Amino acid sequence: MSRSTQTALVRDDRTAYEAVAGLTVGLSGVAFTLALAALFDVVGIGDPVAGVSLSVVFGGLLLALGGAVVGFGVASRLGYVDTAPQPSAGVVAAGAFTAIWFAIGAVASGALGLGTVARLGAGTAVGGAAFAATAFPREDIGSTVPAGLVAGLAGALLVSGAVGPSWTQPLSGYNATLFGDVVVPATVLFASLVVGWSAAKAYGGFGARGRNVGAYVLIYLVVGSILTVLVGLVAFVAAKGAPGLFNGVSVGGSTLVSWPFLTNGAGLLADIAGVFPALVGTVWLVIGAVLFAVPTGVGAAVFLSEYAEQGRFTSVVEVATNGLWSTPSIVFGLFGAAFLIPRFGNQKSLIAGMLTLGFMLLPLVLITSREAILAVPDEYRDASAALGVSKWQTIRSVVLPAAIPGVTTGVILGVGRIAGETAPILLTMGGGVLPAKSAAPDVLGGFRLSASPPFVSNPALLEATSALPYQLYALITAGLSGNIQNPQEYAWGLALTLLLVVLVFYAGGIATRYYFRQKLHQ
Amino acid sequence: MSQTDTTETTANRTDDQGISTTAGETVETTRPEWTNYEAGGETKLAVDDLDVHYGDDHALKSVSMDIPEESVTALIGPSGCGKSTFLRCLNRMNDRIRAARVDGSVELDDEDIYQDGVDLVELRKRVGMVFQSPNPFPKSIRENVSYGPRKHGDIETGLLARLTGRAEPEREEDLVERSLERAALWEEVSDRLDDNALGLSGGQQQRLCIARCLAVDPEVILMDEPASALDPIATSKIEDLIEDLAQDYTVVVVTHSMQQAARVSDQTAVFLTGGELVEYDDTDKIFENPESQRVEDYISGKFG
Amino acid sequence: MSFITPKTDWRDSIDRRLTRTQEFIDDTDPAALAVVAVAMGSLLAAFVGFLLASPWTAVPLGAFLVATGYGWVRHQALVARAVTFAMTTVTLVTLGLIVVFIFAESIPAFQYESARVFGVSVPGLGMFAQARWDAVSDPVRYSLLPMIHGTVMVTAIATLVAAPLGVSAALFIAEIAPPRVRELVKPGIEVLAGIPSIVYGFIGFTVINPWAGGAFALNGGSTYLFVGIVVGLMALPTVVSVAEDALTSVPDVMKDGSLALGATDWQSMTAITLPAAFSGVSAAVLLGVGRAIGETMAATVMLAGVPRISEPLINVFYGYETLTSLIARGYGSANGVHESALFAAGVVLFVTVLCLSLASQYIEARMRRRLGGAE
Repeated sequence: MSRSTQTALVRDDRTAYEAVAGLTVGLSGVAFTLALAALFDVVGIGDPVAGVSLSVVFGGLLLALGGAVVGFGVASRLGYVDTAPQPSAGVVAAGAFTAIWFAIGAVASGALGLGTVARLGAGTAVGGAAFAATAFPREDIGSTVPAGLVAGLAGALLVSGAVGPSWTQPLSGYNATLFGDVVVPATVLFASLVVGWSAAKAYGGFGARGRNVGAYVLIYLVVGSILTVLVGLVAFVAAKGAPGLFNGVSVGGSTLVSWPFLTNGAGLLADIAGVFPALVGTVWLVIGAVLFAVPTGVGAAVFLSEYAEQGRFTSVVEVATNGLWSTPSIVFGLFGAAFLIPRFGNQKSLIAGMLTLGFMLLPLVLITSREAILAVPDEYRDASAALGVSKWQTIRSVVLPAAIPGVTTGVILGVGRIAGETAPILLTMGGGVLPAKSAAPDVLGGFRLSASPPFVSNPALLEATSALPYQLYALITAGLSGNIQNPQEYAWGLALTLLLVVLVFYAGGIATRYYFRQKLHQ
Repeated sequence: MSQTDTTETTANRTDDQGISTTAGETVETTRPEWTNYEAGGETKLAVDDLDVHYGDDHALKSVSMDIPEESVTALIGPSGCGKSTFLRCLNRMNDRIRAARVDGSVELDDEDIYQDGVDLVELRKRVGMVFQSPNPFPKSIRENVSYGPRKHGDIETGLLARLTGRAEPEREEDLVERSLERAALWEEVSDRLDDNALGLSGGQQQRLCIARCLAVDPEVILMDEPASALDPIATSKIEDLIEDLAQDYTVVVVTHSMQQAARVSDQTAVFLTGGELVEYDDTDKIFENPESQRVEDYISGKFG
Repeated sequence: MSFITPKTDWRDSIDRRLTRTQEFIDDTDPAALAVVAVAMGSLLAAFVGFLLASPWTAVPLGAFLVATGYGWVRHQALVARAVTFAMTTVTLVTLGLIVVFIFAESIPAFQYESARVFGVSVPGLGMFAQARWDAVSDPVRYSLLPMIHGTVMVTAIATLVAAPLGVSAALFIAEIAPPRVRELVKPGIEVLAGIPSIVYGFIGFTVINPWAGGAFALNGGSTYLFVGIVVGLMALPTVVSVAEDALTSVPDVMKDGSLALGATDWQSMTAITLPAAFSGVSAAVLLGVGRAIGETMAATVMLAGVPRISEPLINVFYGYETLTSLIARGYGSANGVHESALFAAGVVLFVTVLCLSLASQYIEARMRRRLGGAE
């Protein structure tokens, strides 16, 4: 079948064009990162760079990027480069640029002192022009010119100094002021994002291919930012908390390792204040919650998956469990305060905290256990039944062992989540701001039996005890001050300890899931 | 009868397909002249020394064949001997599988599709594919058929096109009607083009997928067991369609059914154990008088 | 053909259950039945005792443990079945208890804040009809409007952060990332979920608030804007994991079909995969919103804690109080009607998040049915 226009499989060489376009994308990334640094005061926009302030350098960079992008569009339109643009820039680009230029029009006319109606009118006019410029021309013009002009406008404002380090704009009615220190980096961030997206599309040769590249660049940027924030947060807490956490650590000697921050309390007798009582409190909370939630959750999961008929009853339980899973932690705290406290001595206590966290852990364990049990193939059950083994025996020897990996992972992740919870224990357990080592609960040694009601009691369980998250909260509300040497350092050390405890559980849970998945696939 | 090239084995062996031979048994090796068949007419796709590895698994072993244009070429053989792998190399759908490594060349009109810088979008515009299980999109019939041209920017529909006055609804309607007619589906669905494609029967869905493929105006149509999921009546409709399409398109069909290959194709390639192309010739020759003993055994049902 | 009316049908089903129970009792070893009856009965008694805060609760609890232990040795199968059934009811009972107690404790506040509409006194209307919350000085009023406004502001900003970023990250993990990168990014985002909210709050309190106060020349540093961003960061992993599940459940053959027609990866994602997974992705966003609404500690620590409605309404530069921070901050010192008003805030929270959870479960169920039909 002969075809009138046959496009070659390999397009013409455009390495030079791609090199410049790639460079443009890279420079946009550099501008983006620099602006981020300026926003967080790592560098100042007034800092001199080769004689001019950083703000002016940003402006020049944006002007160059904007010009480059328009150049790509024009070069493609005039046929100097072999690209594959579609007849129109598409609804996404049109919508985005219309909105952006509408905002620019409204803000600019506001700066010129026009009233609200006039500003909306100006915005609509400018937005309409941007829409026309994007939607009507061919894609290579439509997706580059509006973007290049954004960068050009921003660049011009910065280079001319109209917006710079000393720029201020009071926001009347909001009781706030916009300063150049924030506005300049924010503008550069936004403009470099827009022009980088456009340059990426140009790099891909416009058309479906170009939009693919543009979208991927944006998504990689998003994911990269999220991960950077994560790493940054953890690193930041680690850096600030290390001095406190490792304060006075020594290796060797009678106890091999001496770690005062973890083994001391914060009372007057301790030379180096530590978080021992809170650590013990957290440990007991987790133990108590697990003892309540795991047998209950696994048992319920077994019943729902193996014994109960899949019908209305199981659906209702499923809906209820999912609802419980989404319930805010403070509501659990309220429930614990209303229900448990009156029944355990009418005061805040360790056992109230344990049970409240147990209630929070229960839906997590139930949902993951149920998934794990349902994932066990029916063939196992059928094979066991065919051998004449009873239902319960099958569950016990075949189904449960196969489901243990999933259950374990779920429990570990669940424990990680509740170990970091403050709100439930805030209302049910309390505890002091800077508890001394003697305040740590001695649960095991506290059990007492008696011949009269209530027959079993344990004063340690009925005490208001501290836990890691609670102590941090109490310190913050006390204004980060107290009767210890360096409350700030102590608080950061406490935060780091809490973070490490929780992350260890999460990492453990993820590792076990990975490990079991590998074993399964072998 | 067939002349087999025989080698006498000197020891007990089990090859990597688990077929064991005892010492003294004769084992056939493929002769090059069995696979260098050249049909009349232009060559559309020239495959040279194509090797495919999935990790350690050598799925396709040095396959070379020339596929002529505007005809039907059938690929037959038992399961797991590389027919679908070979097919997927022709439009580079194997690129989707990360563990796959492809060596050798495939030339479409004298351009190697595996060279650097090949635009996969262009390639797949020219080499279309129909899958084993019908896979219509969860959209209307009309949207399914016009999907390809819309994505390529050849037809403009949608909100923006309407706003800028560039919408061409008549062109889209025309394209949809032509494609459905060519795929022998138009009469059955012309009154319900806005209905969800998933509501069609299996056979109708497969013809819809063919219409969708035709709408892109390809040169080559690859079909991976297109009728295996369908009932006999739907199957025969598909077979009629294949014969009709061969007038304008180069069709390459993988099929499990030897009867189908014999009915429909102009030339047939036989793949046997472990990705080896054993014989490739005019269909009548393959089914009446194959050169290779193994092919004869396969066709007469001794295995496979 | 059936002449059975629904009433008869219902009675039939009861009859069936009774006959089955009768057969069950007849078939089972009476000793086993007795043990199970004792165990379940004592568990029930223990529960009732606990409800009534009775000091004798330990007795039936002990009886339950002994009976179960004995039954485990001798009649394990039946005891196992009974015990697992009991544990199932614990879940339902827990949810029921939460609802009952939260609502019960909030009644005094609803009654206090009754308003008259057409001569009829509607309890609780006063909480939404006026905007003054003051638990101390006269006139003592308990309006939830400032807190609802605060929750809405924080949640709106958090959703603007978590929804687009979360869906993008989910698309990345499900469709774009090479396997090695996926192994790194997916756990990375899960770890983000693990950072305790008090730690987020601590960083906000010590670092972000002071910076914001200086950067925008504010009176104090707590802002709905930055609290919203932090809460959005916390809700992000929820959106990512649920949306990613939805995206990976779209059958591969559909995307193959799109690619084979010459569409790019991005076109296939946006035209085929995302629309097919749309219900699941919406459910993910709803769950993220629910998570943002329920976020407590970061808000408590970062917000000013003075119940007011911002002026102007969308002023993101000042942050006052959300429903969650109100409860966390006020609970220690609240008594009587004030305490009850906190429970009222809890009721609003619970109901809102429950509705969101139900909506997302419904959407996910519909999606499963639709994709199931498509295969």
